[in-house]
Amino acid sequence: MRKYLYIFKTEVMTNLQYAFDILIGFVSYCIMIFIFLNLWHYIYSDPKELINGYNMNQMIWYVIITEILWMSLGGRKLCKKICEDVRSGNIAYNINKPYNYVEYSLSNHLGLVTVRFILVGILGMVLGLVFLHSTPIQSIFQVIAVIVSCFLATVINILLITSLGLISFFIEDANPFYWIYSKMILVIGTLFPIEFFPQVLQPIIKYSPIYVVSYGPAKLFVDFSLDSFIGIIIAQIIYLIIGFSVCHLIYNKGVRKLNVNGG
Amino acid sequence: MLTEVKNQFKVAFTSIKYALQREMLNKVTFITNILFMILNNSCFIVQWIILYSLKENVGGYTLKEVLLLWGLAASTFGASRFFFKDAFNLTEVINDGKLDVYLIQPKNVLISCITSSVDVSAIGDMAYGYIMLFIYGISIKNFLLFTFFTICGALTITAVSIIFSSLTFWFGKIDIVANTINSLMTSFATYPDGIFKGVIKVLFYTIIPIGFINYLPVKIISDFNICYLLMVIFVAILFITIAFVVFYKGLKKYSSSNLMNVSV
Repeated sequence: MRKYLYIFKTEVMTNLQYAFDILIGFVSYCIMIFIFLNLWHYIYSDPKELINGYNMNQMIWYVIITEILWMSLGGRKLCKKICEDVRSGNIAYNINKPYNYVEYSLSNHLGLVTVRFILVGILGMVLGLVFLHSTPIQSIFQVIAVIVSCFLATVINILLITSLGLISFFIEDANPFYWIYSKMILVIGTLFPIEFFPQVLQPIIKYSPIYVVSYGPAKLFVDFSLDSFIGIIIAQIIYLIIGFSVCHLIYNKGVRKLNVNGG
Repeated sequence: MLTEVKNQFKVAFTSIKYALQREMLNKVTFITNILFMILNNSCFIVQWIILYSLKENVGGYTLKEVLLLWGLAASTFGASRFFFKDAFNLTEVINDGKLDVYLIQPKNVLISCITSSVDVSAIGDMAYGYIMLFIYGISIKNFLLFTFFTICGALTITAVSIIFSSLTFWFGKIDIVANTINSLMTSFATYPDGIFKGVIKVLFYTIIPIGFINYLPVKIISDFNICYLLMVIFVAILFITIAFVVFYKGLKKYSSSNLMNVSV
């Protein structure tokens, strides 16, 4: 465990050197929030009106939180790196090192996400407070609960993306799988809470990863309750176990097929 | 003069053809990239179906018009990335001194540079555009107008990217500005202009000209207006001219980095 903590720490220190560059890279986050601010202002004729149980402020905060989670993730970079490692044979250098590639990827990428999460989190909170003047969160316990849920959501997301990247062992380019995954999360998990989807689809989405990586933490932020907190954390732990198992399964199967030429 | 232009086009198309053939070496990857891009874009239909279940009219657009807007945004974006991929990496090309290889060729430097590689997944974007047109309602008139606006839009998007990327000649590492403008164009282009108010609407018809790339063309396809059509053509020509002028003015300030590079 200590070696992974060391990898995580090194990655955090490296990324802190580029904090300003990372912050500039969040222009698209600001654009997204600006678009949704306008869109929900247009949809809600009265800001206090409830649509599917959410008022306008809750809807905008929901998008702010889900976008913080998504933007800080850097999933495309992770998937691309894993695909490249497999395709170029770089992964061979990791195999003979005293760590597991999956855990190495997780701790390494978590280092990047931590810095990004703090920066985009501050940015998102500032944007939310400037445009909406208040937050739905009311106590320190709620803040801690949301942060724990966000952390678990991020770890699950990294594991799922890692498993998509590892598909490169079997087909040449696994990036298209990531595109679909990212769009599913973006459209179904980021833009609208589950309650906005047809009744038939709601149970399916609740059992999908979208519930634990996107909806859960954002729901806790906009409408906290102890019951929903316990339910979301349990679901996240189950998905965490599934994520780890799937990653190891694909990696162990794939690494046996690995063929590296050259030296 | 005309022969020179003809030859230049010939070279550009040959370059694109070879770049495409290179990408087609692995057919499975080639086809998956295209199909998954279509699927990828299709996911956003869900977003609009939900929004239209809340309100019948969003920003003055019906659901079909929004799908057409999305389709046109995808096809213009796709055409620009497919034919002129390197126009969107121009800051890197200039900063790394990679222009040397194009400077020694007896052809137009800018065109040779921006047509040197293709983005295969962009074919999926273009195909998605036509699928959206099909859903909107296809007719010979709509097909021709849509194709024409895809070409105009792709040229305008590319020109805007070239203009902002060319600032690298004067200001060095300015990729953040070029990337932000590209990102603004892509993000706003898929939402109806009616939801925005104030200064931002002025930007749509000036430095991020998506008004001329997407909004006016959709209005023309749904309700033909010759004035709007002429405006779209005029703006495309204007931006292309500015792009060439800015690039060649900047090129005089270009200094090589002695990077060894071979273009095959």
